[in-house]
Amino acid sequence: MSSLVSARHVSKSYGRLRAVDDVSFEIEKGRITGLIGPNGAGKTTLLKAVLGLTDCEGSLSVLGLDPFRQRKELMQNICFIADVAVLPRWIRVSQLIDFIESIHPRFSRSKTEELLSKTKVRRDARVRELSKGMVTQLHLSIITAIDARLLVLDEPTLGLDIIFRKEFYSNILNDYFDQERTILITTHQVEEIENLLTDVMFINNGRLVLNASMDQLPGRFVELMASGENAEHARRLNPIFERDMFGKKIMTFEGVAREQLKSFGEVRTPAIADLFVAKVKGATT
Amino acid sequence: MISTQLVLLKREVWEHRAIYVTPLVIALIISMMAITGQVAVSAFDQVVDIAILGATNLGEAERASAITVLMISISMLFVLAMWVLTIFYTLDSLYAERKDKSILFWRSVPVTDAETVVSKLVTAMFVIPVVTFVVLVATQLAVLTISSIWVSIRGANAGYLIWQAAPLLSNWAAMLIFLLAIPLWLAPFIGWFLLVSAYTKRSPLLMAFLPIIFLPMLERSLVGTRLLVDAIFVRSGKMPLFRGIDTMGLWSDDKEALHELGRSGITLLSLVDPVGFLASPGLWLGLVVCGLFVTAAIYVRRYRDES
Repeated sequence: MSSLVSARHVSKSYGRLRAVDDVSFEIEKGRITGLIGPNGAGKTTLLKAVLGLTDCEGSLSVLGLDPFRQRKELMQNICFIADVAVLPRWIRVSQLIDFIESIHPRFSRSKTEELLSKTKVRRDARVRELSKGMVTQLHLSIITAIDARLLVLDEPTLGLDIIFRKEFYSNILNDYFDQERTILITTHQVEEIENLLTDVMFINNGRLVLNASMDQLPGRFVELMASGENAEHARRLNPIFERDMFGKKIMTFEGVAREQLKSFGEVRTPAIADLFVAKVKGATT
Repeated sequence: MISTQLVLLKREVWEHRAIYVTPLVIALIISMMAITGQVAVSAFDQVVDIAILGATNLGEAERASAITVLMISISMLFVLAMWVLTIFYTLDSLYAERKDKSILFWRSVPVTDAETVVSKLVTAMFVIPVVTFVVLVATQLAVLTISSIWVSIRGANAGYLIWQAAPLLSNWAAMLIFLLAIPLWLAPFIGWFLLVSAYTKRSPLLMAFLPIIFLPMLERSLVGTRLLVDAIFVRSGKMPLFRGIDTMGLWSDDKEALHELGRSGITLLSLVDPVGFLASPGLWLGLVVCGLFVTAAIYVRRYRDES
């Protein structure tokens, strides 16, 4: 069994709202998957289902376990940072480390100490005395020191300044990630993780609108910048989305050969953020 | 399982420092009162000397009763504080983690919801009484020591008047049994508070006490019976730990009854009836009710979606 997460027809409703609607996907070992979607698209609900924090319909298996019914076993092999505010504010840094050490079978105290010594986080400080950036550093230092197979990050850098954000992702790559470990991440700031990802999933209105590896994207999607008559010709090839920029038309194509489009203007592979807008907005217009 | 519980209990004491701060504050107040009180009466030299002389001439049973009554009066404040502390602790224990959103962190560690809720129950039923007991004993020792010093300065024999007067160890045993029995007897309330704490979205104190006050009134006016009144109010007053003695009455207006007990030479421990307590159906019924509430609290923590 090589897939770490396997979801088949997963749905979750809150009253009449279908937050997650018939979603199926697999996440393989050693991948970094970005789950990208607008607010209220169902990202957090889907992550909660994966983490066993909420029940769902359909079949969902994480590390071969049923997340909701086997949450304790699952949490020995999964780590997650759901939000920067999640650490209890009253706890001291030293107490937090003691607690995790005695509760988590896969925690390395020395590794946390080593990571923390690179930061300004004092051991006797309470979490409420730390800045938001320091809380995230602390949380990440702990998570990184847990030998977990899956790391789930839900908007981990929300509210952090640019330096902390950059550091956060480079720390994850340097200190945590290797071929044995897998990361599932959601964020609004897609640009920041674009180079990190091996796979992307777009979610909108509870449904997956794209599920592809980053390697597949250049073959599948092309962005064309064209003007005047060229734009008219290109439009006949059914772009999935079109926008204006500096008086030129920018069109996103799916499944149209790059060679064919080259004659109309400048072509390139769309950035994730632009591709996301094209897939989500293109579907509604 | 047990090691996990110990870690979780430690975490409860870290978070709720009131568990040891409250009894310590009371210990401090009582010790200060003992000192200032004795300094204050020092002004009335003659009266005090006569009183000490009188005490020296008391019979064995009277001296034992005097010291035991002193120990009981000290413990009353602790019992009161323990109950207030337990109410606030249980109401906060599952509410605070949702309010500050740290529940997502607590649920990200390999601990089940049942283990977490049980650790809060054990804190209320066992940790708080034991901590209270330890501080209570220390306070009684402090007050007796302060009194000894004072009595000795006035030339009396503190060993005879105080330390040999009452069976300290047996009194303490009785008090420990009493402190542990209170939360057992009032377990339905503890379970109810935990459930409210896990369930309510705001003002847990109000949500916990409104039904306790209004449901019995509603029952009386609508159905005309008083089952809830008996279950809630009569129960809190009548604990079958002391052989047929109304404990609440003893502590409020019936001081004379205590002295009477003292004069008859019965020790505090011999009044305590743990077997009768454990055999009373009321205790077990209460524990079952507590179990139902706690199960519901676990269920709520597990199934509630915080989004």
